[in-house]
Amino acid sequence: MTTTRIRQADPPCPADTAWPGLAIRARDVLSSEWTKLRSVRSTYWALLVAAVVSLAGSMLFALPARHGAHLPDPVAFSFIGWAEYPVLAVGILGVLAFTSECATGQIRTTFSAVPRRLAVLAAKTAVVGSLALVFGELLAVASFTLAQALLSRQDQGISLSHPGAPGAVLAAGVVLVVVALTGVALGAAIRHTAGAIAALPVVFYLPLALLSLPSPWNSRIDRFTLPVAAYQVVALHPATNLLAPALSMLVLIAWPAIALAAAAILITRRAA
Amino acid sequence: MIAPVIAVIAAVLAFDAFCLISLVRSRANGLPKWTWALIICASSPWGGLAYLVFGREDKVLESPELPGWTWTLGQPEPPSRPEPPGPLRDRPVLALRPVGRGPVTIEVDELTKRFGPVTALDGLSFTVRPGQVTGFLGPNGAGKTTTMRIILGLDDPTSGRALVGGHPYRGIIRPLHQVGSLLDDGALHPGRSAYAHVLSVAQSNGIGRRRVAEVFRLTGLENVADRRVKGFSLGMKQRLGIALALLGDPPVLMFDEPVNGLDPEGVRWIRQLFKSLAAEGRTVFVSSHLMSEMALTAEHLIIIGRGRLLADMPTAEFIQANARGDVLARSPRPGDLASLLAAHGATVAPEGDGGLAVSGMDAPAIAGLAARHDIPVHELTPRHASLEEAYLDITKDSVEYRAWSQAGEGTAAR
Repeated sequence: MTTTRIRQADPPCPADTAWPGLAIRARDVLSSEWTKLRSVRSTYWALLVAAVVSLAGSMLFALPARHGAHLPDPVAFSFIGWAEYPVLAVGILGVLAFTSECATGQIRTTFSAVPRRLAVLAAKTAVVGSLALVFGELLAVASFTLAQALLSRQDQGISLSHPGAPGAVLAAGVVLVVVALTGVALGAAIRHTAGAIAALPVVFYLPLALLSLPSPWNSRIDRFTLPVAAYQVVALHPATNLLAPALSMLVLIAWPAIALAAAAILITRRAA
Repeated sequence: MIAPVIAVIAAVLAFDAFCLISLVRSRANGLPKWTWALIICASSPWGGLAYLVFGREDKVLESPELPGWTWTLGQPEPPSRPEPPGPLRDRPVLALRPVGRGPVTIEVDELTKRFGPVTALDGLSFTVRPGQVTGFLGPNGAGKTTTMRIILGLDDPTSGRALVGGHPYRGIIRPLHQVGSLLDDGALHPGRSAYAHVLSVAQSNGIGRRRVAEVFRLTGLENVADRRVKGFSLGMKQRLGIALALLGDPPVLMFDEPVNGLDPEGVRWIRQLFKSLAAEGRTVFVSSHLMSEMALTAEHLIIIGRGRLLADMPTAEFIQANARGDVLARSPRPGDLASLLAAHGATVAPEGDGGLAVSGMDAPAIAGLAARHDIPVHELTPRHASLEEAYLDITKDSVEYRAWSQAGEGTAAR
C-alpha cells in the first residue's frame, strides 16, 4: 500500500482550538453510547421479548374476567404481570450495556477513549433509561389498551380517560426504567453476563422470600420490595396497608439508585 | 395453601442465589457455558432462556499477564497499598486542558505494580520521545502490556506514575486526540459492524463521520466497513484497531504487539505506517517480543524483563554494542595460539572441535600476531552474533536483575 496521508482532512478538531465544555463532552459520550446500543442485535431481541411477554401477560390476566370473575382493580390487571414478565428481558438490556463490553474486552477501548468512567456509567444509564422509558410507555399504553379491550367485553374495562388511569399507565412505563437501570448497575458491578443475569431475579424476587418472616416483620418489609412497590404505583386502588403510591415510587427509584451508586464505586476502583 | 407456594418460591430463589454465589466464587472455572445455562435454566426458565439467547457472545477473558481472573467484588483490597508518594496525591480530579499538538512524550516514573504476591512491574522508569519509533521489548510476561495499561489509565499502579505530555492519562479530555492506542485485537463486540464500532469510539471524542471514513480508507478497510466484526480475520481486526488509534490524529501512538496475526504484506504496511507516523514528529511506542521485528522498525529500544528496565538505548547503539562477533581460529598448535592471543589481550575460549573462539581481536590482528610468532593458522572466520541472540542474552540475564541504562552505568538490583 502506498503511504497515505495520515493527517486529518477535517478542520482542526475541537481539542485543538478550545477546551470542550461539559455539555459538549456529555453529548459526545451520550451519542457514542447510543450508537453502541442501536448497533447490536441483542437490543432489539430484548425489546421484542419484553413486548411479547408483557402483552401476553396482560392478556393472560385479563382473560379470567371473561369467565365472570370480578376484578378488584382493572388497571392493575393490565400490568400485574409487569413485575414478572418483562423484568428479565428489559433487565438484560441493561445488563448487556456493560457486560457485553467486559466480555469482549471492548471496555478497554471505551475506557481509554473516555477515561472518566463515571461519565461512561452515566451515559449508559441515560441512554438505556431513555430507551426503556420510551419503550415502556408505548408498551404500557399497548398493554392497557389490550387488557381493557378484553375486560370491556364483561363491562369491567375502563378507558384511558378514567380518573387515575393515565397516572397508572405512566407509572407502569417507569417500572421498566427501574428494571433496566438496575440491570445496568448489576452489569457494571458484576461484569459477567451470566452472573448479572442470574442476579436480576435475585434482586427482584429474593426480597419476596422475606414474606415468610414471622408477622409483623413480613408486612413491614414487603412494602419495600420491587414487585410490591410496582403494584402500588400501577393500581387504580392501591392497597391501603402498604406504602402510598408516591412513597412506593420513591422505593422504586431507590433500588436502581443504590445499585448504581454501588456500581459507580466499583467501576472507578477496579482495573478495566 | 399460601405457605407451600412461598416455600417453593423461596427454594427456587435460594437456588438462584446459590448459582450466583458459586458463579462469583468460581472465578472463571473451567465449566463449559452450557452447564451454567442448564443450572440457571433449572432455577428459572426465563433466566435460562435469556442466557441462551443473549449469553452467546460471552467469553471469559484472561489477561496473559494477570494471575488468574481479577474478580474483586467482595474481596478485600490487596493488603498493602501504600499511599502514592508526593505529586501523585494531587492526581487531578478535574479534567485538564488538552495536551496540545506539539511533540508529546510518555514518561514512566518508578512504576511498580503488584498483583497480590506477584510483582509485575518493579520500579520501571523510562521516557518515550517524539519523532521516532520506540520499540518496547521483553519476553512474554515481562510487563509490557501492564505498563501500557497503566499509561492508558486502565489499571492503577501500586506506586509510581505514568504521564503523557506531563499529565496522567485519566485527566486528559478527549484523549483520542492525544493518544491513539491498540491494546488487543479482540477488544471488539463481535456483533457490531466495523463502522458502528469506529463511529461509537469517534463520537465519544467528538470526532466526525468524515474522519471515520478517512481512517477506514487509511487502513484499507473501506470495503468491509459494514460487515460485522465477527467475520473478521485477525489481521483485519488489527487494522481496525489501528484505525481506532489513528482516529484522533494523535501525537502519541501506542501499539501492543501490532504485528501479531498480520500477513507479510500487512507487516510491511505497518512498518511503513510506524515510520511515517514517527517522521511526522509523533511519539510511536510499539511493544513486541520479537527483536528481529523491532530491529527493522524501531530507532530506539526499551527492553524490560520481569518488570525491570534492562536496556534503554538507540537501536544502532544496541546493535553496535551487542552484535559484536568473535573470530573462529584453527591451528595445529591451539595451545600456543591461545596463550599468545591471551597474552595480547584477547579472550580465547576453546570450542569443542578444536577451534578457538577469539573475541577482542579481529582476524587481521590475529593473523599478524600468529605470523610473527610462526604459529600456523588454518582458518580464521569472523562470526557475528545475531541481534536475536544478544536480546536473548540480555533478557536471560533479567533473572539476575542486571540493569543496563543508556549511559552505560549499571543500575544494580534494588
